Amino acid sequence: MHAADQATVVAEDVSKVFFSGGDPVWALENFSLSLEPGSFTCIVGPSGCGKSTFLRILGGLEERTVGEVTMTGAEHAVPAAFVFQEHGVFPWMTVLDNVAFGLRMTGTSRRGREATARDWLARVRLTDFADAYPHQLSGGMRQRVAIARAFATGSPVLLMDEPLGALDAQTRMLMQEELITLWEQERKTVLMVTHDIDESIILSDRVIVMSGRPGTVREDITIPFERPRSFDIERSPEFGELRSRIWNLLRDDVRTAEETA
Amino acid sequence: MSTIENREAGQSPAGRDVEDERAERTLVAARAHRSRESRLRTRDLVLSIAAPIVLVLLWEVCARLLIIDPRFFPPPTKIVMALGEMALDGELWQHTGPTLLRLLVGGGLGAISGIVVGLLMGSSRALNAAFGPLFSALYPLPKIAIFPILLMIFGPTELPKIIAVFITTFFVMQIATVSGVWAIDRQLLEAGTAYGATGFARFRFVVLPGAMPFVFSGLKTATGTAVVVVTAVEFTGASTTGLGYLIWNSWQLFIPEKLYVGLLVIGIIGAVLTTLLSRSEKLLLPWRRNT
Repeated sequence: MHAADQATVVAEDVSKVFFSGGDPVWALENFSLSLEPGSFTCIVGPSGCGKSTFLRILGGLEERTVGEVTMTGAEHAVPAAFVFQEHGVFPWMTVLDNVAFGLRMTGTSRRGREATARDWLARVRLTDFADAYPHQLSGGMRQRVAIARAFATGSPVLLMDEPLGALDAQTRMLMQEELITLWEQERKTVLMVTHDIDESIILSDRVIVMSGRPGTVREDITIPFERPRSFDIERSPEFGELRSRIWNLLRDDVRTAEETA
Repeated sequence: MSTIENREAGQSPAGRDVEDERAERTLVAARAHRSRESRLRTRDLVLSIAAPIVLVLLWEVCARLLIIDPRFFPPPTKIVMALGEMALDGELWQHTGPTLLRLLVGGGLGAISGIVVGLLMGSSRALNAAFGPLFSALYPLPKIAIFPILLMIFGPTELPKIIAVFITTFFVMQIATVSGVWAIDRQLLEAGTAYGATGFARFRFVVLPGAMPFVFSGLKTATGTAVVVVTAVEFTGASTTGLGYLIWNSWQLFIPEKLYVGLLVIGIIGAVLTTLLSRSEKLLLPWRRNT
């Protein structure tokens, strides 16, 4: 692994304020986070805690009100590749063109980008669907396209906004396994927002538990399980302890978010 | 039957026979259901073709037996004969040509500029702020009402007729295209941004294809409106050619067969244009669901 393939993401005292009517709403207040190169980090938190906002600020999709964001991979053409929850793949492009899209925007030759895209399609088992359009695929397949598109850019940082959130429970578990395998081969710096506590433990090296609005870091938990990982860790007592620890941190805020929504 | 044999491998021969028979009965029932379904589909197809034919025949018989007044409703055979005569002596083409020209030139240019302006207004907040309210205010104005102004400016030439069709098409397409750009899923625009599509690339790969479904439904609406406007414009005394003129003049001279020929041909033009648009939509937008 060359240092250039990796990146450290540092966010310092990021705040986001928007106005709802005349009242300022603090979506994020002095939020700081730094990501180790090649680490997989999940953010969990109650609805409206600003976790997606933070991810979108990192991805350049939203402006921060104040604060500093530095990415040491910023010289890459796509500094951070984004994976959306759903509807993120272009319905008017074939699966192959979707996966090759990031490379096309960076000016990679047709031959080069299609070779990379085909390679990634093979890795997400979609080789036979290269010429299909997204509406011909199942929800799980479409998310595999979205994930392949993000990896195919070669970007050192991947930002995932509940990428498996719209899938049914069983497809979701399959996709979690696949994501573990892909990531363990690639070791990109990943930041993923999720609602699913189990998912955050299974996938990541570190779970950031956020408080309710305005979002701040409530706890920063290191996930000790070794890699390569499998679903077997779900049966271990540590897994259960981690799950109840995270849930205890979240429960009150989730209830408040639920009742004020 | 191999699956059944596999499933029943461990059972006695007698039990397997019973199972086979049951499966056979189920398949027979399923086949009967399927053939009933396909018989119904054939029947629907026959009905959809036969019903109009029967109605036309009924018209013919009623007109010949003077049950309906043949001066107002000449029998279809007479209309077809008039059509044949007019096609042979050139009168038909003398009217169809100008109408087609006005529709295709005026409508074509109107559609292109409407799409271009719509895309620009859809992508530029400033342009939309400047012209959006103005165009919305002008849209409900009946475009045919400004035809006299056009006549005043350009005189009784081809130009005012083409411009009338142009303006009609332009407004429909401009509004449809702006709505098309605004209807693009926000996540798709963001996906474009996230993967580095800016400037022209964003337009070429995200905005333009995203707006296309609305553009095509706009084109179909615009075709219908343009046919109405071209007919209306040709009704006025400002024209001595065109199918609208043929219809109007035949009413004044009381030649009902020719009036119906004009009606028939303009109907065919509208239907052909709409079909061509649907075909090209299927060809150009293969990614659309259910199309």
